[in-house]
Amino acid sequence: MVTILGREVPNQLNELTVLQFEQITNIHANNELDAIAKHLEVFELLGVPEVDFEDVSIEEFKECVKVFNDLSGKPELQQSIEMEGYTYKAFEGETFRLSVKDTKHIEKVMHSKHKGYIAELLAILFKRDDLTKAEHYAEAHIKHKAKMIRELKAELAVPYLVEIGQKLAKQMPKDAPAEVVE
Amino acid sequence: MHLPKSWSEIDVFQFKEIRSLYTIEETFSREIEILATLADIPSDDLEDLDISEVGDMLKDITFINSEPSKFYKHVLGEWKFKPLSKLTVGEFIDLEYFFANDYIKHISHVASILYRKHSINEWGDLVFEPYKYSPFERAELFDEYGINEIYGIITEYLAFRTTFMEKYELLFQADESEEEEEAIKPANSQDAKAEQEHKSAIKWSWERLLYGLCNEDLTKFDQVTDMPLVLTFNMMAMKKELNI
Repeated sequence: MVTILGREVPNQLNELTVLQFEQITNIHANNELDAIAKHLEVFELLGVPEVDFEDVSIEEFKECVKVFNDLSGKPELQQSIEMEGYTYKAFEGETFRLSVKDTKHIEKVMHSKHKGYIAELLAILFKRDDLTKAEHYAEAHIKHKAKMIRELKAELAVPYLVEIGQKLAKQMPKDAPAEVVE
Repeated sequence: MHLPKSWSEIDVFQFKEIRSLYTIEETFSREIEILATLADIPSDDLEDLDISEVGDMLKDITFINSEPSKFYKHVLGEWKFKPLSKLTVGEFIDLEYFFANDYIKHISHVASILYRKHSINEWGDLVFEPYKYSPFERAELFDEYGINEIYGIITEYLAFRTTFMEKYELLFQADESEEEEEAIKPANSQDAKAEQEHKSAIKWSWERLLYGLCNEDLTKFDQVTDMPLVLTFNMMAMKKELNI
């Protein structure tokens, strides 16, 4: 937690929920907002209303942003999580493995660019042992799991986002098919 | 798993199948489907692999992002490529249909019009079989040929078409201005009716042309479609220019 204009604001990945992290990501992805407006919206989201900044100088505002962005520690991949009495596993063995099937589903979720894609992405990765593949990838099941995941801490999401980003960047083909030149 | 290394290992059917997969918007999913098609396996067989494993395979098939060879064979088995300068009106109209409706999807249909049975007549001249068959019935005979053997007919026809359209620009101008008008939204029901009539006119433009060339006598339909394309358009251009 950091204190901004006298208010306690969660800023660490083990303090923010996945839902808050999604909301912050969406604010930063909004091209209609400039950098200051984005920070103001993030602070508002986390409990510091915009009106509180009315008499704040730009230097003080910059300091608030700096304090907020000061993250400590680097969260590690959590192989499994517990929700509603069930264990969900993202991968077997020692290292994270991203299957073709998961990637296809993740790509579909990311392509839709809807606001809750981070939780859905995790919902695709984390699987219950007692369910079949068909049940696991069923849309309703993914949505339900994503809803539960949004209440977990963002430290769960970030390492996976990094891993997936790196893996996709490495594997994704970049060329488009050539067209006949008329 | 055997993966082809270049277009020279791909037949027309596979080529069409691969190109049809480009309707899949998600890049990775599309590449997986293409990979499965090339390996001739269900894409489900790849789904449990790690993406780094398929990544290497995807690197092996980057040739799919290039065009096949622009050359084409003039003789394919019993078929011989009919020079485009010798096209008939009927052949041209059918080719235009296929080119207007996705020429990649219809490359076999295009090939079935341009590759023909042939013989030498009593005067020692090369004679092509008449266009009395349906390209829809014959198209699949060309699916098994290598894509590199026939892909060049597409570029060849497109180049011919460009020159042809430029040469007979006057005859095609009316259609172009009609297309521009089409973009204007109708202001009232009368305009809407006019637009509908106009759309119908475009829809039936080739039929209208043939009907005119037949002098409204449909028994002459085959005679007209068998007429040499260039001669017919020369005569039409003359009529238009002299307003006769």
